[in-house]
Amino acid sequence: MTTPLLELRNVSRRFGGLSAVKNVSFAIGKGEILFLIGPNGAGKTTVFNLVSGFLHPDEGSIHLEGRDISGVAPHEAARLGIGRTFQLVKPLSGLTVRENVMLGAFMHTASAGRAAAEAGEILTFLQMEHLAAQPARGLPLAVLKRLELARALATRPKLILLDEIVSGLTSGEAVTLAGLIQRLPERGVSAVGGVEHVMQVVMKIAHRVVVLDYGVKIAEGKPADVVRLPAVIEAYLGPKYRELAQ
Amino acid sequence: MSSMRGWKPWAFAAAVLACGSLALVARNDYVLQVLFRIVLFAGLGLAWNLVGGFAGQLSLGHAAFFGAGAYGFALLSAASIPRWVALFLAAVVAAAFAGIIGRIVFRLRGPYFTLATIAFAEVLRLSVTNLKLTGGAIGLSTPALFSGRSLWGMLYLSAIALAVTAFVINVYVARSRFGYYLMAIREDEETASAVGIDTASYKLRSLLISAVLTALGGALYGSAFQFIVPDSVLTIDISLQMAIVTMLGGAGTLYGPVVGAILLLGAAEVFKNQFQESHLLVYGILIVLVVLFLPEGVVGGLQRRFGGR
Amino acid sequence: MIVFFQACLNGMLTGALYALIGMGLALIFGVMRIVNFAHGAFLMVGMYVSYVLFDHFGIDPYLGFIAAGLFLFLFGQLIYRFLIRPVRDRSDFMQILMTTGIALILTDGAQLIFGADYHQVNIPLVNRTLRFGAFAATAASMLSFVIAAVLIAGLYLFVTRSLTGRALRAIAQNTEVASLVGIDVTRIQGLSFCLGIALAGIAGGLLLPALYLFPSVGDDYTLKAFVMVVLGGMGSIEGAALGGLLLGVSESLTSLYVGNQWALAVDFAVFLMVLSLKPSGILGRQRA
Repeated sequence: MTTPLLELRNVSRRFGGLSAVKNVSFAIGKGEILFLIGPNGAGKTTVFNLVSGFLHPDEGSIHLEGRDISGVAPHEAARLGIGRTFQLVKPLSGLTVRENVMLGAFMHTASAGRAAAEAGEILTFLQMEHLAAQPARGLPLAVLKRLELARALATRPKLILLDEIVSGLTSGEAVTLAGLIQRLPERGVSAVGGVEHVMQVVMKIAHRVVVLDYGVKIAEGKPADVVRLPAVIEAYLGPKYRELAQ
Repeated sequence: MSSMRGWKPWAFAAAVLACGSLALVARNDYVLQVLFRIVLFAGLGLAWNLVGGFAGQLSLGHAAFFGAGAYGFALLSAASIPRWVALFLAAVVAAAFAGIIGRIVFRLRGPYFTLATIAFAEVLRLSVTNLKLTGGAIGLSTPALFSGRSLWGMLYLSAIALAVTAFVINVYVARSRFGYYLMAIREDEETASAVGIDTASYKLRSLLISAVLTALGGALYGSAFQFIVPDSVLTIDISLQMAIVTMLGGAGTLYGPVVGAILLLGAAEVFKNQFQESHLLVYGILIVLVVLFLPEGVVGGLQRRFGGR
Repeated sequence: MIVFFQACLNGMLTGALYALIGMGLALIFGVMRIVNFAHGAFLMVGMYVSYVLFDHFGIDPYLGFIAAGLFLFLFGQLIYRFLIRPVRDRSDFMQILMTTGIALILTDGAQLIFGADYHQVNIPLVNRTLRFGAFAATAASMLSFVIAAVLIAGLYLFVTRSLTGRALRAIAQNTEVASLVGIDVTRIQGLSFCLGIALAGIAGGLLLPALYLFPSVGDDYTLKAFVMVVLGGMGSIEGAALGGLLLGVSESLTSLYVGNQWALAVDFAVFLMVLSLKPSGILGRQRA
């Protein structure tokens, strides 16, 4: 069996006395699109923060291509090949769209010209090249979400983590963006990890999902199978609806 | 990068030459002194701009580096080290201070960062005021960097050299990855680290460059008046002026600090006679007006209106 | 040993006045999130108000401080409406610049009006010494202490018991939630700003008998006030009072054992130490 791209082994993280993530293990294989789903406060974003170095696990370990990366700083995680977007879009609003994307490209080149060229390619790939010279300030949410993706993509990540990238979009916008996510391997991305509430998108593009509830992994598998599991329905809808599953 | 649009090397060279030739035309020491002050603060503003403008780390403690330069130069010269070597070493001392201060203050955010930078500069001022080594409140005499009759002319030219150096560094920063990284840090540190930027290291680098330039300015200032006291080179007024010059002109722009220095020090000179001891009143009024009506500074505001940004 | 306790006592006497200054800043910084770099300048204004009343009308500073507080409360309304409210939602640094500008205008304005001369009020209380066993204190500093203590207690009751006070605390905790539950955030923030600088003014009035008065007398108090607020835990009004007492005692002990001229440097060194060693809760923004 080949080494998975990313592997979490019994990872726990507490805030104060509260367990945000409890003993969670899962792996993302090369070529895979995996989504973390679960109710609000289930610890999905915490898992992302742990993987991308913004938080460090209290227990357990995180491995990228077999290498232990549990304690690395965020910028080191990025340099190791983990790109991420933020749930609350964070454009660098004083810069233009192109400059925002260049920041990612600068990870591989010190030349502003080459960074701009690479940013241009990525903007074309994401069908937003016409916005390149616009300042990021005041752009609509759908564009900003794509800009998040573009900037992360410019770092040429092996693994890209998308934190609620389609939430807040109209369903048309969401479907377009989902299509682009499926094409990410064309830009050299080996695997995609996502946190998402919009089940329509998850069902369509995820190869596999991991379900978290109160920081605990309660299910894992193909999206169509997982959503029928009683534990998952209970987590989402409460115990009343358990019988629906039978 | 669109704020680079105005960068025309020939126009710049011509402007520098024009400024420099003023030294030959103006034989009057008073005029040269005013010009020296304006150009010196343009250079200091450009130095502050690296940290406060590009990286968005709003320091009000740069007097520490200014004073370190002035006192370092005076003390090292007193130890009979050649003047130009002493000048170089004073800059090294300031860089060392920046290394120590930066490691602590860059862990803080927002008002705490600013407060900590002030506190550092104040601890330094009070220590220098209270120690025998540094001449206490009485101060130290400082050797002149130049001898001869055209002392103020030479000082003015050195201030131009410093300002040009600072300007060229700003140009380089604005065009390079280093500058983009600083701007990313200013806009959002989390996003910056998510694209692989070691934010702590880049902030520190910008402070080191800024501190060295500021220290050279301090040494120049000390040698101009040939005498320094803590309240002239380590006072928070110096830090404030550096910040105000930059904010008035436009933080994070290339010409902002230059324009700001001309406006602020020019206004101070004009109103000096009206208000005498109270000339900081003018600074206060200017600051309030800028914050209320021109938060991006003169150059920043003009760029937004006419140049897109 | 007696010397040590005497120094502690002196420190407490000054510290109570510091506590007023610190609580004032905590009201502005904690409730408004306004970084007020003019706090010391407002204190200076309070001193001049009390001085003018004494000098022109012979009003005792121990009554004049009330007028100083009232004056600054009203003056605060103007400052708040025209200069602070426009920058309320701007970056910290814009607020710092604005309040620094205000401080420069006040300080150099005072210099323009009153000149750079040092002034002093001579009241008999300053020269009368009270003895408690082995300890001694001037009657003026005792009276200042008692007044400050009453005000601190009153403020504490106001903040914890009254409806407005609880609204203040709610805003300090979470502005958004406070406005959702129907608190008039703008009104309360304005009130807390005025109250905050009125406290600085009162402290100025009470410090008048003990200090020489000159235009930049307040400068050191701005940073000192921030030291108190940080020592006491960010935004906590009671904490700032405690921070004020601590600072008073630490200054007094530094003066005794190291030398008076080092007291301020020690203040700032302590401040830097607290900031760098216990940055949790002091950091402007917590990482998610």
